Amino acid sequence: MARNHNTGGLDSAEAYLVLSSLEQDQLAQARQQSLPRRPLKRVEVFLLSSLRLYLLFMLAVVVYQVWTGAH
Amino acid sequence: MQAARRRGGVFSRLRLLWLLVGPGILVMLGENDGPSMLSYAATGAKFGIGFFLPFIILTFVMAIVVQEMTVRLGAVTHRGHAELIFERFGPFWGWFSMIDLAIGNFLTLVTEFIAIRAGLGFFGVPPWVAVFSALGLLYAALMTHRYWTWERITLAIAAGNLVFIPVALLSHPDWHSVGYALASWQPLPGGLNRDLLLIVVADIGATVTPWMLFFQQSATADKGMTRHDVGFGHFDTVLGAALAAAAALATVIATAPLFIHHMNAENFQAAQFAQALQPHIGRLGASLFALGMVEAGMVACVTISLSSGYAFGEVARRPHSLNLPLREGKAFYTVLFVCAAAAAAFVLIPGLPLVYVVLVVNVIAVLAMPPALLFLLLLVNDREIMGSAVSPRWANLLATAVVVFLTGAGILFGVSVIAPNVFAALGGG
Repeated sequence: MARNHNTGGLDSAEAYLVLSSLEQDQLAQARQQSLPRRPLKRVEVFLLSSLRLYLLFMLAVVVYQVWTGAH
Repeated sequence: MQAARRRGGVFSRLRLLWLLVGPGILVMLGENDGPSMLSYAATGAKFGIGFFLPFIILTFVMAIVVQEMTVRLGAVTHRGHAELIFERFGPFWGWFSMIDLAIGNFLTLVTEFIAIRAGLGFFGVPPWVAVFSALGLLYAALMTHRYWTWERITLAIAAGNLVFIPVALLSHPDWHSVGYALASWQPLPGGLNRDLLLIVVADIGATVTPWMLFFQQSATADKGMTRHDVGFGHFDTVLGAALAAAAALATVIATAPLFIHHMNAENFQAAQFAQALQPHIGRLGASLFALGMVEAGMVACVTISLSSGYAFGEVARRPHSLNLPLREGKAFYTVLFVCAAAAAAFVLIPGLPLVYVVLVVNVIAVLAMPPALLFLLLLVNDREIMGSAVSPRWANLLATAVVVFLTGAGILFGVSVIAPNVFAALGGG
């Protein structure tokens, strides 16, 4: 089988076996690396703000309904 | 799991499927929770099967569209939903979504304990005994300190949700009417009015809610699924939706005799539903119905408090996994139990209008969905973190349709509350 210097002299089957065995550690390592911040576009900020206002307004409606129901 | 991934062949793939299913089934059966089953029961009792059987199927299709995205996000980024929002969009937007989740989860947990209390009430169990027993069971399920063990125990309990199917069969449904309703979306008694819209919105809230996004993504990451497992995750989600839809439809069919016999189920709790159904489905059927309510509340108690714990751990950067021993995951487990205990205590307040609380909580869940879905859509289309696993165009179209539908349902509900005469003018009640 062909040996590869990039995988520490392991052949592809051996390298796959090692990588699969280490998968849990790799996942843990991946979780440790923090992701870069993604600036929101103007249209995205507008949509998020609009939906936030929608939620607040509708919650007021629910409170009104509960209040009228109670009376 | 790794060994099963390495091997080929049908048997190994089936074994891998068995190992990987879980988060999807749990989230769907978990969402068939106390308030959801009470909503479905109220639906059947108040409006019969007509419009609502196909409508409920539609809501589960929406749930699949939404939850599929969380599987991809969890498997590709190995991060929970709250963590991703904070990292990518910053604390300003992150805290908004966390506050939505915290309030929604607390209110929903309250309704789970309402269902448990009401279900056990049918068997004469005092409310405080019912609530403390549920807390004890929650504690026992989480103290396994292994995600895998916890998941399998919870799955076994969740299978109890299917108890509503024999209950429906005991009500001797008219299958011709069921078929007609599924094919025609008819009849819709009473037309378009505020009561109908409240039930429509509550039924949507019974199927798609913000905690599901946080739970399934975090559970997928906690389970250790990778982008190679996304297909299994999709299967898991669709299977969960099919099982949950079967239980939901069965509940509507089971309570439809109350509609046929013109019984006023306005202020029914789970115990009263079971008592009212007893002449139609017998003592066994009524007992199964009450037990189903208890099971629905119990599974959701476990999954919803876990979603709060996950989100807290992700945001506070504390260890957050069911694989952690109590000592190492102190903050994670504390949040979990404090949330559940506070909700349990709330339910013991005397004179609380339980059914009304349940319907209002479901409505709030629907209202909170569009902002949560927008974050989900932005993340799942973020090529920097998703790479080639970004959403295809058709998936984005479906997800956008769900956002528009949920927002529209919320607005219609708002109009029905503020200006009920509009619906009267349109021919409704």
